[in-house]
Parts: sequence; C-alpha cells; structure tokens
Amino acid sequence: MTSRLHERRRWLGLAGTGCLLLLAGCKGDSPPSARVLPETPQDDPPVQVAGCENTSIDPGRVTLHRLNRAEYDATVRDLLGDTTRPARAFPVDDHGYGFDNNADVLSLSPLLMEKYASAAETLIESAWTRGTLRTCALDAANPEPCARDILSRFARRAWRRPVTPEEVDRLLRPLALAKQHGDTPEAGVKLALRAVLISPHFLFRVETDPKPASKTPHKVNAFELASRLSYFLWSSMPDEALLQAAEQDKLRTPQELEAQVRRMLADPKAQALVSNFAGQWLFTRALDSAEPDPTLYGAFNDTLRRAMRQETELVFQEFLTGDHKLKDLLDAPFTFVNDALAAHYGLPLPGSTTPQRVDLSEHPERRGIFGHGSLLTVTSNSDRTSPVQRGVWVLEQLLCSAPPPPPPNVEGLPPPVNPTMTMKERMALHRSLPQCQGCHRMMDPLGLALENYDPIGRWRLKEVSGAPVDATGDLPDGNVLNGGADMRRFVKADPKLPECMTEHLLTYALGRGTSEADACAVRLIAASAEARGGRLSDYILAIVLSDHFTSRRGDTEAPSP
Amino acid sequence: MSRKPSLSRRTVLRGAGALLALPLLERMLPGSARAAAPAPSPRRLAVFYVPNGIHMPKWTPTGTGAAWELTPTLQPLAPVKSDVLVISGLANDAGRPDGDGHHAAGTAALLSCTKAFKTEGTDLRAGISMDQVIANHLARQKATRFASLELGIDEGRGIGNCDSGYACPYANNIAWAGPHTPMAKEVVPQAVFDRLFGGTHSGETQAQAARRRAYGLSIIDSVREDATALQRKLGTTDRRKLDEYFTSVRDLEKQVDALGGPTSACGTPIAPGGDEDPRAKTKAMMDLIVLAFQCDLTRVVTFMLANARSNKVYGFLGLSGGHHAYSHHQHVQSNFDALARIDRWEVEQYTYLVRRLKEVKDGQGVPLLDNSLVYFTSEIEDGNGHIHKNLPVLLAGKGGGAVVTDRHLRAPGVPIANLYISLMRAMGVPNVNTFGADGTRELSGLLGG
Repeated sequence: MTSRLHERRRWLGLAGTGCLLLLAGCKGDSPPSARVLPETPQDDPPVQVAGCENTSIDPGRVTLHRLNRAEYDATVRDLLGDTTRPARAFPVDDHGYGFDNNADVLSLSPLLMEKYASAAETLIESAWTRGTLRTCALDAANPEPCARDILSRFARRAWRRPVTPEEVDRLLRPLALAKQHGDTPEAGVKLALRAVLISPHFLFRVETDPKPASKTPHKVNAFELASRLSYFLWSSMPDEALLQAAEQDKLRTPQELEAQVRRMLADPKAQALVSNFAGQWLFTRALDSAEPDPTLYGAFNDTLRRAMRQETELVFQEFLTGDHKLKDLLDAPFTFVNDALAAHYGLPLPGSTTPQRVDLSEHPERRGIFGHGSLLTVTSNSDRTSPVQRGVWVLEQLLCSAPPPPPPNVEGLPPPVNPTMTMKERMALHRSLPQCQGCHRMMDPLGLALENYDPIGRWRLKEVSGAPVDATGDLPDGNVLNGGADMRRFVKADPKLPECMTEHLLTYALGRGTSEADACAVRLIAASAEARGGRLSDYILAIVLSDHFTSRRGDTEAPSP
Repeated sequence: MSRKPSLSRRTVLRGAGALLALPLLERMLPGSARAAAPAPSPRRLAVFYVPNGIHMPKWTPTGTGAAWELTPTLQPLAPVKSDVLVISGLANDAGRPDGDGHHAAGTAALLSCTKAFKTEGTDLRAGISMDQVIANHLARQKATRFASLELGIDEGRGIGNCDSGYACPYANNIAWAGPHTPMAKEVVPQAVFDRLFGGTHSGETQAQAARRRAYGLSIIDSVREDATALQRKLGTTDRRKLDEYFTSVRDLEKQVDALGGPTSACGTPIAPGGDEDPRAKTKAMMDLIVLAFQCDLTRVVTFMLANARSNKVYGFLGLSGGHHAYSHHQHVQSNFDALARIDRWEVEQYTYLVRRLKEVKDGQGVPLLDNSLVYFTSEIEDGNGHIHKNLPVLLAGKGGGAVVTDRHLRAPGVPIANLYISLMRAMGVPNVNTFGADGTRELSGLLGG
C-alpha cells in the first residue's frame, strides 16, 4: 500500500474533532455546523489507548540499512578520528517518508561503491600515518600476532560487534599476498583494514532474524540494539561504553536503556538529532536552496540564511536538553537571534553577530517555529507567500493529516484579477473551482493566518501590491483563525499533534516508513511520552523503550516481483 | 542472476599475466601509431534530459523532412542545424503515473519505458534503462574504463515528498541498472574530473600495475566472501538490498581489472572550476562529457539538467518564478514567455555540447560528433496537462551512419521505445527486438525516406 493511500485512509479514520472536519471538507460535503475551539488538553492522559488494549503489536522490520552520508561521516569520525567528511563526495542519498535515513530507499549504486573504495583507501592511509590504528609493532619476521590484534580490535569497532576468529583469519589473508609481491606486512594490514571499511558489515547496519521467514517478533540482539540507539541519537557508531554495555548484555532493562539515552543525549554528538532529524522534520535543510526573488526580496542574503538556520537549530537544541514540552515548539517564548536577524524581525538588537537567546514576552508574533524565518521562507514561493504550502506543512509535519495531492491541470494560483487583490481574495477565487474546494478549505486557513509574514519571514501589514494583509483563515466549521497567535493555539490543541510528532520521530528512529500496522504503537508511544512529561527526551525514551525499537521480525515471503 | 562467468573470467585473467600487458601497450601508443592499424571509430551516446517539458508551440518546426526551419526555441541550434534531427510525435505511455506524480513516473520511465511502481519507499521498482543496456554490452567487451557516466547539476531535493507519492529516486535518476537500482549521478564537476583522471597511475611499471590490481582484487574477494556469508542469514527484502552490493562490487571489480587510463588522444585535461552557478556548472559538465568521450573513458553518458519537477528559479534569465510553477502555465501568456526563455536556454546548453563534439576529434582524427548520438528529451510534453505524448526529441550526430540529420521527422503516436531500439542497435547491442512496455521494432525513418 502506498503511503498516500495510507494517509488517505488515516484521513478517513481520524477520530479527533478537527479531523472529521478535514474529512468532510475534503470530500466536498457540507461541514458539520458545531465546532468548539480547542479545549485545554488533558494533563494526565492514560497510557492505555482506546482501541489498542488487546492488540498484539507487530514491531515490523527494518530493511538492511546502508549508512547514509551523515552517518558515514560521523562513523569514520568516531572510528578513526577523521573529520574530513569524505561522504561529501558521495552521491546524494535519496529520502523516503521525509527522511534520508530511510533504509528502503538507501540504495547502493556502483558509483557509490567506487567512492567507498577510494574513501577507504584515503581514510586508512591517513589513519595509519597518524598512528591511530597501530596498537602494536609489526614484526617483519612474524607479523601475524600484531596484525591479528590490530585487525580484531578495528573490526570489532567498525562492525559494531564482536568478530569471530574465522573472520579475523580471513582478514589476515592479504598479509601473504603482500609478502608474495615483496611488500611489507604493513601493506598487507592496510589492505585488510580497507576491506573492513567496504565490507557489508561496515556499510550496512546488519540485523538478522533467527528465522528470516517468520513473522514472529523477537528482540534484536544487544549489539543491534546498541547500533539502533547510537544511530538514532548520534547518527554514528556506538562508543566504547555502549559497546561494552552490549557485550555485558546490560541493555536489557528499561533502567539501563534510560541511563544510556540520558548519557547519550548529554553528549555533543546528539547534535546529530538537530541537523538530521529537525533539519528534515522542520524543513530547515531546505533553506540552503531557498531562492527568494532578489528584486522583491533583496533583503534576503546568506548572512540571514545562516542566522535563520541557526535560530531553528538552537531552539530545537534547547528542546533537546531543556525542560520544555515538545509541543511548546509551537509557541516557545524565546528564540536565538543575532543583530542581523533581530533587525529583520523587528526585535531589539542583542548586540552580537552570533545568535543570542532573547525573550519574546513582548513579541508574541515571533513565538515558536511559526515565527522563524527559516520555516516561513522555505514554505513560500520565490516571489510570494504560499498559504497552501504553509498549510500543507502544518498538516503533514504536525498533524499527519496531509490532503491528497491536487488533481492534474488545476495546480497553481490564478493571477490577480486586479492589482490590489489580497492573497486571501486570490485564493478564494482559486477555491471556487469545485475540484479544489474540498481540500483547500482546510489547508488555506492555516496558511492564511500566517499572512502577516512575508516570503522571507518579515512582519508585514501590507502585501507587495499595497493591499492590507488579511490574516484571517476561515475554518470549515465557520470558526475563524485570527492571525498567527490564534493559529498556534489551534494547532497546539489538536489531539493529533503528539501522535504526529511521534510518527515523525519514530520514522526517523527506525529508518522506515510507518503504516497503518503501526497506528497503535504510535498512539501508545505518544501517550506514554505525554504521561512522562511531554518533553522531547520523553518522546525519545518512549520510543527507545517500545517494542518497535527493541524488536523486529522476519519477512513473510518473497515480495511481489 | 549468474555470477559464475565473472569468477571464471577472473580465474582466466589471473593465469594470464603476460596477456594482460598487450592491450595496455596498445593503448599507450601515440595516436599516429594507432592510426596505422585503424579500428572503426567507436560510437557514443549522450543523453541530455531537461525537466518539466517544453512549450511546444515555440519548439515544433512547421516543415517536415528536409524542409524544416528553426523555431524560436530551436534557434540556438543554427550553427549545428545540419547535424540535428528533430523528431515529433513520440509517446511514452509507461510514463503515465497512477493518479498524480507525472514528473517522477515520467522520469523513471524516460529511458526505461517501464511503468514505475508507486511507492514512497518500499518496493522501489522501475526497469533497466536503454543507456544501461548499452553500457552492459560495452562492459562485456571491456571497451572503456567506465561503462557509463551519470551526471547532473542538482543534488536531490532536500526535504519533503518528491512527487505525489513517488519516491525521490524516481525523480532524480534517468539511468537504472535494473528494476530496483537507480544509477546515482555525480553533480560536482571537480569530483567527476577526479574520478576520470585521478586514479590513472601514470608512469607506474607493469609490475606495479599488476600488484595494484592484485591488491584491489583481494579486497574485493574479501568483502564478497563477507557478503556471501551474510546473504545466507537474510530474508528476501534484505537479500535484495545485498544484491545491490554484489552488483556494485562486480562493477568495482571490472574497474580494478580494467587496463590503463585515458588514451593519448585527449592531451592534458584541465580541471573544472568550483563554480556553483548553474551556467558554469552545466558548461563544466558538458566539457567533461566531451573529455570523457575524447579520452575514451566511457561511451555512454546521461546528464540531467535538473531533477524532475525542478522548481529552479532562473534569475539569470530575468525570471523570478520557479520552473515547475511556470510549467503549470494555465494558458497565461506571461508563463508561456517564461517557459520559452527557459526552453531556449536549455537548447543553448545542448547546442554547446553538440558544437564541442563537432569541434573535437577522436583518436582517428574524426569529429566525435560523426560517431556520436546526442539525445535531448524531457519526461513530458506540456507541463500544464502533464502530457506523455508528442515528447520533445532532438537527436544530433550521425551515430556512425545510423541517422540522417538536418531533418524534421514526424512519428505521431509511435512508442519512444522504438527509438531506443534503434539507438541500442546503432550502439552495437545485438538482438534487441523489443524494449520496455511497448517497444516492438526500430523507429522507421531515422535514415530518411
């Protein structure tokens, strides 16, 4: 089943109050008349979830996972102390379900293999020169004991598991080959080290099933679990402490897992969650390729681009370590700006070219991610705002209720009939086409409520045409979102929000797309995270402790040809 | 999938150290010495892909046959008009998606004529592309160091969906080694240059070369054993992933095994600059294609001027909107004008490649273009209606006599797969009688008449 079908069905199956409206709207039916704006969410939701009490949960399976570029770079950094980021020369990883760590779409092309081989040669030469790998002196007359030591230590770390004596024996073979060619034992060891780095055990995160053709779930082994943890939180290999915990089989208890998670989140390597998870969930990465029209939005430049990216990254970083509820991302009363970005936003200058934390009590319009230039820019067209893109972003990334894509031949906003039409009026015109009406009734109001932010995130009261901004969004039920603050409240109170944040984080944590089969797991994890306190760390812990993270199963049968 | 032939070939190679030296020596001869024993000039194929279709009213020539005139969009072709064949009317039915997703589905089917399976992740499935059929054929003959090159100038889209439920690999790759394996492309000119010319080990002795080869092959043997042992423990889906690994290792092996580097015909190549401007980057890639052909490092290249559904802003053409947005023109004149400007720029880049191939001579002193086929197309015709018929098609070069140029050929409704059968045959692939979903015969009319 494709994800769109899945989303479509999710759409049909949504139980929350707002969602029925979405459904009604998208089918073009007349909306129900009664709709109360969000109540305060329950403080202490039960961890049991209605409809999932007696369901046995299938943890699913993750396809053999190739390291993506970020993971490769972080892994060789931790394995060899190499910070040259060789993966920058690799072809770009494709992404699926919103993330470029999706095991199903991470393919291995011949080009990439060639890059792996040449990177391995460079990495090993350089590490050898630096002496990183030489744990002993290779005796020319009897090199084998030392070679064995070097190779078994290295392979254990590179393959993230203990290596068997047979595997080490095989790795030792190039020693004889080097001798045959009149070369030093050193040359043979370096060859073997290169082979370690292009072995499938290094390039893939290998997880095996005792019965590959059985759907019965089983716990992943301790080393597989250690790698799941380290690639989730660090995009990198397990460190010595984690590897030893696995060797001592200590990762079995929730207490030990929680202790590891907390230790790992406190490590600077957890920055990977900011650049790799948040960068894709919050679309921050798209800022690199944003090209606002220079004639209309010449104020945008690379200084601002950098400051905007840093702002979102620093806010997310604060959520990673600080004591904030994850859903407060929508209206956090603080942010990080430098002088350039503060001026752009109309905030008091912090007096620094590096980002400083500033309080937003006096500037509610900048609260939360909907005040961030990064998000506002990447969801705009180059020459105008796009309430549709902004609305779809909210529905997809925060509420997991994306509408189906537009039918062919109707995409695009008509040009203004007269030059002073507001965006809202133009969109109303667009919506008058019957085939567009259904879905746009939900997307548009969310985006229109943000019309006070121009395509590069500046506050505005007038559109480019001179028309006064109309930042009201008419919800299908007749309620009106009056500007950004209203819209933030509305989205934050949607019961879908915790589950949707879980869905994105789980998709990233596992490196696989979620489907209907995961619905109960998602709901249980979300409920558990909220019950723990609703912080980002609570979500992470709830995921790590779930069966989805600690178990897997085999394939049923051969997939369709 | 049989791996035995490759192993036995290796075994033969290992026992034939003396034989290995021969082709190496031959390739090191200066061009003049080689001319004394002339071999037929090799044929070469370059594919030039542009996204989002073409505004056809300003593209399609009015005349047919030899009586054709350049249209506004084709005007840049003026200096090479006699080397170009315009083909109108070809259709690629396999490019039609399930529901929406015309760009990704059209692009996945562009050279494969196989309908892509709609998925955002699991079960990625398209078909082998015609350039890879040719590359496989040439690889079997060990013709060049690289069986094919896959180039572009855009990285994949950073975030979000690629195209209405179709996974990004469909939108970002026109070359497919097989149903599940898109051929990733290089987008950094310097990296392409390093790859072509970095590992040539010029000046090494025969013994050094033999040692390098033996070392390289020993690594390959080692990791292949790892993979074979692992394969036994895996389920079906994982095995398919590991198949990609085996395929890639086999390709790597071919390269390690391949002999020598660039031929003397190519002189001293100059590395491209690190410019990020799409104009400079495109030109650098065109130069690298010419260089790769000239040095006979490969005979098959595919190039993507942008990824499918690209919404690139062509600021340097005085445009402020994105390409994809303009392509949904809604019959608004200003959008048509913008599209025509982009289309023309695309034709200019293609013309540059054709012109350079005409100027540069191969080892036998023949213009590269004479024996090349330079193919221009897009995944759809019109961007508003997402039409998969009447695709924009240009073919430049005579392909060593496979094509008669300076004409406008009309082939309304004919499957584009038939053109590919012709191209594959022109490139020497034997026994191609069908291709993709609907290719059943050669495209008639390529030789006139």
